[in-house]
Amino acid sequence: MPFFGEVFSSEIIKKPVLDPKGEELGRVKDLAIVKGDPLPLVSMLVIEKKKKYFRLPWVDLNIFNKKIISSRTYRDNLIPYEFSEDDLLVVRDILDKQIVDANGAKVVRVNDIKLEGYQNDAILIAVDVGMRGILRRLGIERGSEEFLSMFKTSLPYNLISWNYIQPLRPKLNAITLTVPRQMLSELHPADIADIISQVSREEGAHLFKDLDIETAAEALSELKPEMQADIINAMDTEKAADIIEEMPPDEAADILSDLSSERAQELLENIEKEEAEDIQELLEHDDDTAGGRMTNDYIAYAPHMTVLEASERFKIHAREVENVYYIYILDKEEKLIGVTSLKEMILAEPDCLLADIMETNLKTVSPGEDEMDAAEIISKYNLLALPVVDENGYMHGIITVDDIIDMLLPPAAKKKRRKI
Amino acid sequence: MSRWKRFLLFLSIMGPGIITANIDNDASGITTYSVAGARFGYSLLWTLLPTTVALVVIQEMIARMGVITGKGLSDLIRENYGIKAAFYMMLGLLVANFGNTVANLAGWAASMEILGLSKYVMVPVGALAIWMLVTRGSYRFVEKILLIACLLYFGYVVSGFMSKPDWAPVLKSAVAPQMRWDSEYIMLSIAIIGTTITPWMQFYLQSSIAEKGIKKENYAASRLDVIIGCFITDIISFFIIVTCGALLFPHGIRINEAAEAALALKPLAGDYAYLIFAICLANAGLLGAIIVPLATAYYICEAMGWEAGINKSFKEAPQFMWIYTLTIALASAVIMIPGAPLVFLMVLSAVVNGLLLPFVLVFALLLVNNKKLMGEYVNPRSYNYISWGTIAAIILLTGFMIITTLAPMHS
Repeated sequence: MPFFGEVFSSEIIKKPVLDPKGEELGRVKDLAIVKGDPLPLVSMLVIEKKKKYFRLPWVDLNIFNKKIISSRTYRDNLIPYEFSEDDLLVVRDILDKQIVDANGAKVVRVNDIKLEGYQNDAILIAVDVGMRGILRRLGIERGSEEFLSMFKTSLPYNLISWNYIQPLRPKLNAITLTVPRQMLSELHPADIADIISQVSREEGAHLFKDLDIETAAEALSELKPEMQADIINAMDTEKAADIIEEMPPDEAADILSDLSSERAQELLENIEKEEAEDIQELLEHDDDTAGGRMTNDYIAYAPHMTVLEASERFKIHAREVENVYYIYILDKEEKLIGVTSLKEMILAEPDCLLADIMETNLKTVSPGEDEMDAAEIISKYNLLALPVVDENGYMHGIITVDDIIDMLLPPAAKKKRRKI
Repeated sequence: MSRWKRFLLFLSIMGPGIITANIDNDASGITTYSVAGARFGYSLLWTLLPTTVALVVIQEMIARMGVITGKGLSDLIRENYGIKAAFYMMLGLLVANFGNTVANLAGWAASMEILGLSKYVMVPVGALAIWMLVTRGSYRFVEKILLIACLLYFGYVVSGFMSKPDWAPVLKSAVAPQMRWDSEYIMLSIAIIGTTITPWMQFYLQSSIAEKGIKKENYAASRLDVIIGCFITDIISFFIIVTCGALLFPHGIRINEAAEAALALKPLAGDYAYLIFAICLANAGLLGAIIVPLATAYYICEAMGWEAGINKSFKEAPQFMWIYTLTIALASAVIMIPGAPLVFLMVLSAVVNGLLLPFVLVFALLLVNNKKLMGEYVNPRSYNYISWGTIAAIILLTGFMIITTLAPMHS
């Protein structure tokens, strides 16, 4: 069936469909689409006549444009249609729903859907998320255009190509459209967190399932605590454990402390032993103390190590560690005796000892101290990280400046979406 | 689960219901109750009981929808009934809520005037403060302010006790219905229901519950929160009516506004009652003026799919910021411009609210019975009789109110 040009779904819905004699077969109720190459295409129309629904396959159509829709079929040959969850229907499943505009990294609503003729098929090329779509649906697009032209302005088109759309609901994924699944993973994790916090819990958890472990771990740490717990609870243990393992231990501990103790235990058992021990240690501290804020992910070497030796080791250790800007110097008993920065270590002569270049006038905080005290020290001395040391001089971990910033200025997705 | 643990769980979930309840008693609500108490003493108190029941029935369904679907009412209407239904409903909400904002700022202005502060100074100051608080304030700060504002409502309870009413007739009037074939009496009893059950609070409640991300398993606690909230609303109303009924009614003092009630209380009950009434009204007016425009901007943007959020700029979320800012700015202007059609706006707002309510309630009831959305949490059949009955009664009463507002009865 030849179809050229373009048409919006709103111009088709409720239009009469004629048989070869010009009698009305019914009115368009919905359009079913299937996977196509390169874009999804219309496979049939669902038409309504006196509260009964019939299927009208695309191939049976004769003319299809915004003025006339006619078919080669007569009424007696129509096949009844029952709405099924297996079909993907334009009006029922896409129109008016929320989708992720992966290009603009935000959640939008589908106001209209644009179809275009391509090799005798009608393909779904874009969704309209703009004002024009709304006005068209209300039947006042033309009027508004004329009204605005009096003021010498025009309505902008706001179409998103189907390529840049990530469906929110699992159903759209089940029928694999040409939507690239990795679309979402390409966004910045903070943007993903923002998107997830804007949709319902169920949809958010679903979006999350599509992310790779690394992106998931980063996005998860940007979300507010209740949401983190929800998402982890909704996942199977193995994947949840993988994600937790990927996160820095302090953030992992924050999430685990929000879960039920059985669930947390179960996850810890599935995490690599060393990592699990780090997390367990952090879980013992109160939330709003320096101990609760710290991470035990840091780099520490012995004082008698040469700079050359330390640099070689650093290259290996730094892969695993988030905060690498300070190298802490611990004595044999694991007591903190000094610190040097990455910069100083790089600039130092290779045969120098760490003990020679280290700074021994240390700024530290004890695990039980208030997190605000830690923030003040970091701010006062312009540090990137602050070691947490107990009264006996043993080092427990570090508090990093980004943890402090998160504490003072929570990222948008961690706050409530609505402020009141 | 131990009793203690269950209590803690409840505390973490409570909030939306109780906050909605407090905001429900906005400036126009307080006016209605004050007028009712001054004009008819305790004899309208009985209407609070059926009103509370109706409120509980409706809010419970709304809360259930919020918990199960995790979406706001405007999202659900858009997704299930298409853009036309959503658009016209949002347009109505915009008009009605503009009127509500004007009423709230007018309450603020009137209470400032009787406290001796010029409205030409205090309205711009109040409006600017609200705007700054919401767009520039941090979430924690705003939350604290709201919490304090909600607590201030208990001033009415204090004033109720201070008015030393004769409790026997008060309690009798509260439970024994009485009917008077007096047009003013009937109008006021309908107005009490109309001011308690409003379209916008259904949107507000469902969104704030969806927002909180309350889980199905914790629905019982959320329901308790909503029911407690409904009772708080009407307990506050009760004490406003009692105060005015005990102090103003015996002297035959007629009032038309909540601020007049405060002023009339001064010689009768002393400075404290006067101050409580004036400050509580100022508080309610300002609280309403914070929430109503903000909520309106959110529902409209969500239904239409526009970017929303108070930490966004005019460029990032133009529709949202303009709706929010213009509502406050125009509402303040209407109050300050002498000869502005204040009364016309109030009537328009009441009529649009009344016209909107049946649609909101019917959509809500249809949605809550939608198996695809609600699964096993649809209304049980017996409950449907109650809810349809309640809604039919409310529609009938508001319909009656609209007719009499547009074509006043001659009595």
